[in-house]
Amino acid sequence: MNNPTVNKTENRDYLIPEMAPELERGPRWLRDVRRRSREAFNSAPVPHRGLHLWRYTDPMTFLVDRSQVSDTDYGENFGAVEKIVREHVEHGNLAGVVTDLAGREIGFHGTEELCARGAVVTKLSEAATEHPELVEKYLYQLVNSACGKFEALNGALWNDGIFIYIPDGLVVEKPLHLLRESGLSGSAQYPRLLIVVGKNAELSVIDEYGGGSLDESQPSNTNSAVEIFGLADSRVRYVSLQRQAPGMHGYMTHRARIEQGATMLTVPLAFGGAVSKQNFGVILNGRHSESSMFGMLFGSGYQRFDNHTLHHHVSGETTSNIDFKVVLRDKATSAYTGLIRIENDARTCEAYQENRNLLLNSGTRAETIPELEILNEDVRCSHGATLGPIDPLSIFYLLSRGIDEAEAVRMIVSGFVIPTLQQVPKNLRDRIGSFVAQRLEGN
Amino acid sequence: MTDKQSLFEFKDIHVAVEDKEVVSGVSLTIAPGEIHAIMGPNGSGKSSLSNALMGHPDYAITKGEAYLDGRNILDMSADQRSRAGLFLAFQYPLAIPGVSVANFMRAALKSHRGKDANMSDFRKLFKAEMKALSVDESFATRYLNDGFSGGEKKRIEILQLSMLQPKMALLDETDSGLDIDALKTVSEGINRFHSDANGILLVTHYQRLLNYVKPQHVHVMMHGKFVKHGGPELALKLEELGYEWVAQELAEKARV
Ligand SMILES: Nc1ncnc2c1ncn2[C@@H]1O[C@H](COP(=O)(O)OP(=O)(O)OP(=O)(O)O)[C@@H](O)[C@H]1O
Ligand SMILES: [Mg+2]
Repeated sequence: MNNPTVNKTENRDYLIPEMAPELERGPRWLRDVRRRSREAFNSAPVPHRGLHLWRYTDPMTFLVDRSQVSDTDYGENFGAVEKIVREHVEHGNLAGVVTDLAGREIGFHGTEELCARGAVVTKLSEAATEHPELVEKYLYQLVNSACGKFEALNGALWNDGIFIYIPDGLVVEKPLHLLRESGLSGSAQYPRLLIVVGKNAELSVIDEYGGGSLDESQPSNTNSAVEIFGLADSRVRYVSLQRQAPGMHGYMTHRARIEQGATMLTVPLAFGGAVSKQNFGVILNGRHSESSMFGMLFGSGYQRFDNHTLHHHVSGETTSNIDFKVVLRDKATSAYTGLIRIENDARTCEAYQENRNLLLNSGTRAETIPELEILNEDVRCSHGATLGPIDPLSIFYLLSRGIDEAEAVRMIVSGFVIPTLQQVPKNLRDRIGSFVAQRLEGN
Repeated sequence: MTDKQSLFEFKDIHVAVEDKEVVSGVSLTIAPGEIHAIMGPNGSGKSSLSNALMGHPDYAITKGEAYLDGRNILDMSADQRSRAGLFLAFQYPLAIPGVSVANFMRAALKSHRGKDANMSDFRKLFKAEMKALSVDESFATRYLNDGFSGGEKKRIEILQLSMLQPKMALLDETDSGLDIDALKTVSEGINRFHSDANGILLVTHYQRLLNYVKPQHVHVMMHGKFVKHGGPELALKLEELGYEWVAQELAEKARV
């Protein structure tokens, strides 16, 4: 790949122009934040490659030359996926579907019932004017220009997004499915999602990212921001499924904050894109809050994955657990950086982290970097990592029962990712299983 | 070699582990319906021989021949050997996290039959076999050998034997780690499996298994070689006297 050099930032093309139409979207307070985000983006240097979290991915990958960004065309597969998901709505497996075209056009299917029960599922642009008390309070609280240059980029340029509010005490039994479709070659999109789950309320969300450029020589870019708030005693499950097209450059920052007694389950799943850099973080902000993450990515071809997770224990008596699985074949690479931070006055916390990497052939490369910032002694904390090929003796055991080698590999890899799959809502599990199977067959 | 009908036969097998020879030229012929036992001190090469015959990647057969039903198995991969009718119950069965006993069994049966078994037929057969071996039904959904006790692992090995119905079963210390009741259940399982058409080669240290599963032939292995052959009485003598006298006998023979 012909990477632009860093001094290209001098080129005004990489700056957000003053006249970008998105800067004018929204009420006054929002326009102010957008402008400040623009200034932050324009004045922030491109992160240095040696910097924390940028060692494995060139930041230039995610800079978009504005002159290249034309009107967005959508890929073909969107119709097909939308159809599948609509069927689910009709069969009653979902609480509704929200479609998001390139972070610009947001559509709602079958969400009326949920809204009738008091939930708000709407465009973020609408929510900003209709529910300012919520949106102004929560939007940009967790993902903003203080996080970094690319969060500032989304903060300034998101066109439209999705807003979900679940009132206190409402239990949404079925998952809500969000389908985000990226534009084709040369496009850039800045999807944004804000979720607020009220006290003692319950919600499951499947956040699926598809589409985009098929050809990395003409990539399209997605820079997404997700903010989730789980108020006291809420229970939230958030599944992120990245299955974008092979020419995609994807950057994502996810932050959730949970209050006293709340639980949060985060399931990052990644299969797609040429370069995928995702950052998932949960802030444990109230006693007895609990966060678990079960991640999985499967890379093939020349795919590059760069994932971060954060568990930030702000409050004492909180528990976190991470199980992040990586499977690589061909020439795919993955870097996983997992940070556990426990504040000085966050006493009696438990934090566990495990990252296991299965390298199916010798051309693959995986890095695993556990980071612990533990500022008090009164904690229980452990982390572990493994990295290597499938144990040949496991294969032999299956062979010795007549199972052929391809099937043995399939079974062992499926077994490897099962703890993650079990966290995925039932109606999605088979699809994820088939993604794994397809990757193993070399597609 | 004798002219008796051969089900399983190996000749002059040499096995190397990490370039070290651990089995040095052993031969045996097993006729249909026969039960043979190999006994021998720790480290004498019994597991190396069984593993190598099954096609274990760490145990290389550097010399020799092996035939199952007249077919050369040394040309075959491990899965082909299994489908040809060879089975090894491992001394130390490995855990396979994430693969349930039921799924594993179903995949194994499918590979043997060339097609997937009807789900309800499979369930019926599987349940019946589990019951016969006093394996609790909850094991079906547990991950293969993951957290199983030593005895539970051995039971699951014999469950696999009875499901797959191989022609030739190598059972490597299937009795070790079993409590008294389990020894009985597992032995009954082996005897249920046994017929005029198949063969069994047991590796064991103790007579107690041989009280249930009765071999016609007993072979003593030392330092990678068969050093003595006999009938069931040989096992009793070994139980009583240990291996010392065999070693002495060998030494005397060498002097003569
Ligand atoms: N994977 C291995 N790597 C290195 N050495 C091995 C390996 N497997 C076996 N050996 C060596 O080969 C020799 C024979 O071992 P083997 O396991 O075959 O003995 P055994 O007769 O089955 O003993 P036991 O009765 O204790 O099960 C021993 O010296 C052992 O240390
Ligand atoms: Mg042994």
